[in-house]
Amino acid sequence: MANLPIDAEHAVVSLTMAVIHESPTPLLLLDGELGVVGASVSFCDAFGIESATVKGCPLFELGTGEWDVPALRALFSSVASGTPQIAALEIELERPDFEKRCLIINARQLAYHDICHPRLLMAVADVTDARANSRAKNSVIEHLGVRLEEVRHRVANSLQIVATLLLQAARRTTSDETRDNMNEAHHRVMSVAALERQLSASPAGDESVELRTYFTNLCSNISSSMVDDNDNVTLVVTGGGLVTPRVSISLGLIVTELVINALKYAFPDARSGRIEIGYEAQGPNWTLSIRDDGVGMPNDRADNRTGLGTNIVRALAHQLQATVDVAPGTPGTVVCIKHVKVALVSGIKDEATTALASVGGSVGWRSSRQ
Amino acid sequence: MIVEDEVLVAITLRDELESAGYQVLDLTDRHADAVAVARESAPDLALVNIQLRGRDDGIELAKQLKALDIPVLLISGQVSRAQSAKTVAIGSMPKPYSALEMVAAVTYLLARLGGKDSIVAPAGLEVFVSTTDDLAPAA
Repeated sequence: MANLPIDAEHAVVSLTMAVIHESPTPLLLLDGELGVVGASVSFCDAFGIESATVKGCPLFELGTGEWDVPALRALFSSVASGTPQIAALEIELERPDFEKRCLIINARQLAYHDICHPRLLMAVADVTDARANSRAKNSVIEHLGVRLEEVRHRVANSLQIVATLLLQAARRTTSDETRDNMNEAHHRVMSVAALERQLSASPAGDESVELRTYFTNLCSNISSSMVDDNDNVTLVVTGGGLVTPRVSISLGLIVTELVINALKYAFPDARSGRIEIGYEAQGPNWTLSIRDDGVGMPNDRADNRTGLGTNIVRALAHQLQATVDVAPGTPGTVVCIKHVKVALVSGIKDEATTALASVGGSVGWRSSRQ
Repeated sequence: MIVEDEVLVAITLRDELESAGYQVLDLTDRHADAVAVARESAPDLALVNIQLRGRDDGIELAKQLKALDIPVLLISGQVSRAQSAKTVAIGSMPKPYSALEMVAAVTYLLARLGGKDSIVAPAGLEVFVSTTDDLAPAA
């Protein structure tokens, strides 16, 4: 075959058509009148169009006219009027004997030197399957949301019944000690209940617990039953943070135990005062503190026996990998539950190591008075 | 009036309210019974659980009680359902609640129904109306 001189313009057009033809993405090259100049094999295959008939055919007459969609006309009208590109126009393509397809059309006017022969490039993405998957996923999420609400409803009802039974038992017993125990058990259940209630009111999918709100509700509940109108003990919540429900339930029970303990023993003889519940977090490290300005711990701790509240706090602190430190306040008592996961400042590694090593260590406070 | 399908919960709530000085009508757990009691006694406030005995629905009951000018406080663990009933109830108290919280909620709502705005709403209670006039039954 003789080497014929190749016209440069012809070569460029030929290369362009080859690129269009072989594009794995369905493509159409259109002229200014929206007639098809070239089509990719992928376009013809995807939409059942004879490749031999496509060249020169007006876009809106392709196939059986299924591309004559008002939205597509509007898109090309916009492109022809100078809008360089309309991103992600979504249309539905309906063809006889075929399932409806959901397509995303991108169209743009090509910028090149021959302004007498404008060319438009139309790329088509078939997102039918992706949309169906998305709908199925949303349906599953919605279904799970409904199921979650049902489960929460059942949990709420069950906790309500348990709390009710404890309250009934407390009302009917003649023993003061039993009544106190039942009331404390009621507070423990309500501590869990307050968390459930807070989670139920959270937006779907939000599983973090805002501790300031949670502790405030806990204190309100404890205060309403343990602090009568004549008492002058104030409960204050400071700090706060977001934690998982699993962590919050342990923290809530610890707060419940320590606040009840302080209310029972720190303010005898109608003494007035304040109990401050604080939570501070820095990275993975956090400190929960319950500070009262009451009468302080008894001097003689030799008789301390371990009460249920002490055991609960100790066990939950251990579960949270935290230490429990009970110290005199000025005045009163400060109990700190401290979780140290990493040493934040160079040089205090020993503190972190010591803290972790002593997790689950002994703790005792006013249990001698129980 | 207490309309609640969990009898233990209803009894405890009644005991707490009576201890606080309120008169509580006979406990009911069905829509029809509740309407009959309401027609006969015209309670100042109805505490209605959303889930009632059988397939009875507390929100449907609340609509009928509203038509009788009886204000309703909805009680439920179904937070989204309670939220959907803002036009038929004056508020909602989510389960699980403490009995004392509910007594405080009743005290608050009855005070506001009586025209007093000075009491602070207790924890947990969501009030669906903003003014005392909105709370008061139609004349």
